Formats: sequence, C-alpha cells, structure tokens
Amino acid sequence: MAAVQEIAAAQNRFRSHRLSASERRTAVFLVFPAVFLVAVLMYYPMLRAFVQSFFDTSMLHPEPQFIGFENYTTLFADQRFWLLVRNSLVWTLVVVAFQAILGLASALLLNQNLPAKGFMRALVLLPWVLPGVVNAILWRFMYDPQFGLINSILIGAGLTTVKTAWLAQGSTALLALIIAAIWKGFPFSTVMYLAALQSVDQEQLEAAHIDGANAVQRFFNVTLPAISGIVRLNLLLTTIWTFNYFDLIWVTTRGGPNGTTHIFPTIIYEVGLTQFNFGRASAYGVIAVVALLAFAVLYLRELTRSQAL
Amino acid sequence: MNARRKLVLILIVALVLPLIGSWQARAADPVTLEFWDNQQATSGLSKFQEAAVKEFEAANPDIKIHVTTIPYPEYRDKLLIASQGGTPPDVSTVDQIWNSEYGVTGAIIPLDDLIASSKTVKKDAFFPGAWASAVYQGKIWGVPFNVDVWQFSFYNADLLKAAGVNPDDLVTWEGLKAAVPKLTDASKGQYAVGLVGHKGEDTVVIMDSFIYSNGGSVLNDDGTCALDKPEATGALQYLVDLLPYAPEGAANSAAEDMRKLFVNGSLAIEWWPALEQPTLQATKLNWGFVNGTAPKGKTPVGTYGGWNLVIYKGSKHQAEAWRFIEWMTAKENNGKVVDLIPANVEAATAFLKENRKDPDKIVEHLNNARPRPLSPVYNQVSAVQQDLAQAIFTGTAVKDAVTKACDDINKLVKK
Repeated sequence: MAAVQEIAAAQNRFRSHRLSASERRTAVFLVFPAVFLVAVLMYYPMLRAFVQSFFDTSMLHPEPQFIGFENYTTLFADQRFWLLVRNSLVWTLVVVAFQAILGLASALLLNQNLPAKGFMRALVLLPWVLPGVVNAILWRFMYDPQFGLINSILIGAGLTTVKTAWLAQGSTALLALIIAAIWKGFPFSTVMYLAALQSVDQEQLEAAHIDGANAVQRFFNVTLPAISGIVRLNLLLTTIWTFNYFDLIWVTTRGGPNGTTHIFPTIIYEVGLTQFNFGRASAYGVIAVVALLAFAVLYLRELTRSQAL
Repeated sequence: MNARRKLVLILIVALVLPLIGSWQARAADPVTLEFWDNQQATSGLSKFQEAAVKEFEAANPDIKIHVTTIPYPEYRDKLLIASQGGTPPDVSTVDQIWNSEYGVTGAIIPLDDLIASSKTVKKDAFFPGAWASAVYQGKIWGVPFNVDVWQFSFYNADLLKAAGVNPDDLVTWEGLKAAVPKLTDASKGQYAVGLVGHKGEDTVVIMDSFIYSNGGSVLNDDGTCALDKPEATGALQYLVDLLPYAPEGAANSAAEDMRKLFVNGSLAIEWWPALEQPTLQATKLNWGFVNGTAPKGKTPVGTYGGWNLVIYKGSKHQAEAWRFIEWMTAKENNGKVVDLIPANVEAATAFLKENRKDPDKIVEHLNNARPRPLSPVYNQVSAVQQDLAQAIFTGTAVKDAVTKACDDINKLVKK
C-alpha cells in the first residue's frame, strides 16, 4: 500500500513540476524535428488538398482557377456521389462488424487448449500476411465465372447451374468484395483479441464458474468487460483502415460495374490519377477526411484513455 | 617587364589555360538526350532499344542517349509529374491518346516547322490514321513511332469448322450474328465471342471499332458527343445483342480474360490487335483471323493504338531530339526499334512480312483504321465510355445509357 502511495506521489510531483526555461528550450529542440516532419509531410499536403478542392486544377489547367464550392456542389448534385457514400458506409460497417465478430470468435477458439495450437494460430494469420495485391488477384480468380473456385463449388454441390459473374453484376460485386476483405482482415482482429484474452483475470473466471455462471455468462460478464478497451481500439482502427481500403477493389473491379464498388479511395485515385482532375479528387478527399475525422477523434480519445490506464 | 610582373603573367596564363582547355573539351562533349519510353515487360523492347541506341550513337557521335523505360501503369504519371515539375525528358514516346492533351497543356512543342524541313519525316511515310493521331487544332504534336489496330477477329478454325461456320462470314455483322448461336453451348462452357466491358482502354477501343465500322464517331468535329447518333447506338445495340453468346461477366471482362478462354479452346472468336499473333503462334491452336467486322457493304474500320514521339518544351536539346526522332522513324530503323508494328509504312511492310501471318491483310486494316477521339479531355471521355459499356452490359437500355454518357461528355467539353 505504501509503495502505491509513493508512486502516486511521484506522479503528482512529476505532473506539477514546472519546466525551467532551458528545459523548455531543450524540449522544444527535441520535439521540433518530429513536429516539422509531420507538418511538412502530412499537414501541408492536407492543407494543399483542402485549398485545391476550391480550384479547377487539372492537367489542362495546371495554373489553378478558383471556382469556389463548384467541385462540392457538382458532387452533391450527382447521384453517383450518393451511391459512393452508400457503398462506403455499407462496405465499412459490414467489413468492420464481421471482422470483429470473426476475429473474436477465432481468438476465443485459439485461446483454448487445442492440439497444434501454434500451427492453427499461424494458419489463421495467413490471410493477414498476404500482400494486398496478391489477395486481390487470388479473389479475382476465385470469383472468375468460368474457372473460379466459388462457382465450381456451388455448381458441384448442385446449388446452382448458373455460372455467376460475381464481380460483373451490380447486385453481387460489393458483397463479393466485402467477403474478400473480411477474409483478409479478420486475422488482425484475432491477434488483437488473442493478446487481450491473455490478460483476462483467470481467478475472476474461475470465481464466476464456481458461482454457477455458464460459458456465455462468463464471456459477457467477465471476458468482454476485461477486453473492452482492446475491442474499442480494434473497431476504431479497422474502421479507419477499411474506409481507406484500395488495392482489393482497384485490382478486381476498379469501382465497377457502374460504380457499385467504388468507395472514396478508389474514386479519388480514378478522378485524380487517371482523369487528372485534381480539384475534384481533392473535394472527394476532403469529404473523406471529414467523415473519418469522427473516428480519428474517438481513436485518439481511446488511445489517451488506455495510456492513462 | 620586371620579374614580378612576369611571374603574375605566368600565373594568370597557368590558371586560365586549363579553364580554356576544359571549356573546349566541354564544347566537344556529346549532348546527352533523356529518352523515356513505355516498357512492355514481355516484349523485350529494351533489347531492341539498346541495340538501336548504340547504332544511333555510332552514327551521331555528338549525341548520347540515356534511355529510361517505365511500365505503362506508371508511365503517364511520371511523365506528367516530370513535365509539370519542370524536369521533363528531352524526348519521349506518348500514347496516341495523350498527344493532344500534352500539346494543349504546352508540355510539348509543335513539330510543323521541323517536319517541313525534314527529308525523312513526311506525312506520306506513315499510316494515315497514325499520322492523324498526332494532329490537333491544325498542328502536329508528334511523329508516329509504332502502331497496331483493335481489332482483328482471331478465330479458332477447328471450332468454326465443327460448327459449319465459314471464317469469311465473320467479316460482316450479319455473318457474325448468324454464326454466334452455332458456336455457343454455355452448358459445355463453349462461347462464340469474347466481349470486353471492364474499366480499361481495351473496352473502349473495341467499342470504337464497332462504332467506326458502322460509320459513326465518338465525338463530333466540335468535340461534342456523337454517341447518340444512330450509327453509334446501332453499334452498341449490336454488341448488346452478342451478350448471350459471350462468356458470363462481360461487364468485368478484360481482353486478357478472353485470351485465356480462347487459348484453352473455350472461345471461338477473340478480338485483339495483331500483336496477339506471337501469343497464338506459341500455342497448338489452329487459328486464323479476319479484319474486324462491319455491316454488309461497309468496310471494317479498326481503332488505332500506338505511340508517338514528342519533344518537350523544357528540353535544352530540341535540335538533337529531333535528329533522334528522324532516325527512329526512318524506314531503315523504325522496324528495329519497335515491338508493335512500325508506324513507317515501308518499315511496317518489311516488319510484318518477317513477323506476322497474312501481312497484307494487316496493312489493309492499318490503312483503314482511325485513331481514338482527339481531345484534350480524352481520358475523361474514355472513362465515360467505360461506364457506358458497363451500363449496357448489365441491362441498361442503350438509349438511356447513351443519353447519360452524352450528358457527361458534353459537360466535359463545355467546361
């Protein structure tokens, strides 16, 4: 008890300590390179993109022409923009939710005393370590209407006789890519949750067991509260990453057919780097950043809270 | 002159002489030209280039060539960044579809005066469509380097024979339409024709070829949309009518996908440029080809693909760059330095005789072909066409899809 009080007192002393002028100068000197790099490499391009979104900047107009909010008003008036927003929402929510559920389920499974536990853990990690482009090509093959594994299985099992073109139909393309993204991403959640599960107090679990709690009750009342910080962190991180996904969609459909698989990063690339309409691409980028900002703030708050713990 | 003055004079001479020598040596140093080119990884183009560059340097000792080859997906980005950033190469190849855009933006110089005084670079020396691809707003912005045509109809002779189809019938729309049901048995994974509708340029060149062959255009002379004209909508409807005889998933299929099916015998007809021949020659397929397809009474008109050589405004060695272009496109050299068909007609004829089956047929198709629309907003027009293809291949009525496409294109042009 005395030791805890001592640590708390030391922390208080540290917090209330005022830096001398020379200490402050040293601190600024040490922090400056990092701040400078972040400002130059991150905030300046972001600021430029924001400013550029109010200009008509393309290869044809390398000298930007100020057009006010025209890039934004054009976007908002375009039905394809709202399809993009819908796609991004569906894509992000479904992928994040299923990655979390599958990640947690597989982590709980791998946390058991199974035979060949190490091998199983490595196996689950495989999709995560696969390079993004390789993963995309793999799934493109899997969904191939003529030679693809998915159709072969479905036709072989007698479930259908039709060779479905999964990536060529507006009704199936986004779903097909969501499945591929979940497969690629869920092992990250597994690793996070598996690590968190190691820290769950076994004594509490045993006590709950003795008190008559069944497995489900133990999970919801002991395990989940214990790993809730990691769950929140994982959800926030995967939300940001999923929203910013690019390679899988670009390699397989390039946002098609008819824009049904376009999300913000793919449209930004298409408009900016294949059509060279930098002003419009910047407007898309600004909207994407605003959408992500809420999650970024939550992430930072969660990070601060976990550090405080 | 006293000793001190003599010493100062000697010192000055000693200091200045090496400088003069170095200046003279520098004046005699060869100029190094930066030449950028697209690297088609499987073509072995760099080997041709290395040999050609050595030959050029031997013939022009005052010029050295530094070649940079860049894969296609990155090539345009790098050229754009370099020219906008003020560090362009002296000379480069550009895809025909970029040529007018580069001209309008001032990244490259017009070549009219240089061509007027040239002995080798003459309009008649090149295929008409290839030359047309470099002309925009009355000025010539590039010299055709290499070419090919989308598309030739490559057919599997054994499948056609088994179905009782005469290959010559494929040249007309009517003949092709009558043949496709005989060549299709989807339950056995057998398809007649490979439609391409993914988001890529191969989708556009095939679409253009059908429109051109029906007497239509993508853009009017004033740059506005011509896709709503009957010739264009008729061509698009014709493609839609072929859907039941094509492999599933046309809206996300690339020419590469169709090649796989063609090579494994699942597809009777694939549409590719002449560069497909080496691939097919390496297979055991019994194949042949006809020059595209057009309505009865009309001539099939293909869509040009290929590269032009341009000189950058920022180049300090424009005269030397022009000498390099003259050499690269001369009939004696053009065939040695390209992996596609040389744009120089004489060089092309020799190249085709040596490397391709039925060279005369190819030359005929090259002479009839047209370039894609010459527009500084070509890439955006192309994107609209890709969306149009996906729309009609996924059930949108041609009329509705074309109305939307023209609306988009006209907005671009107006802007």
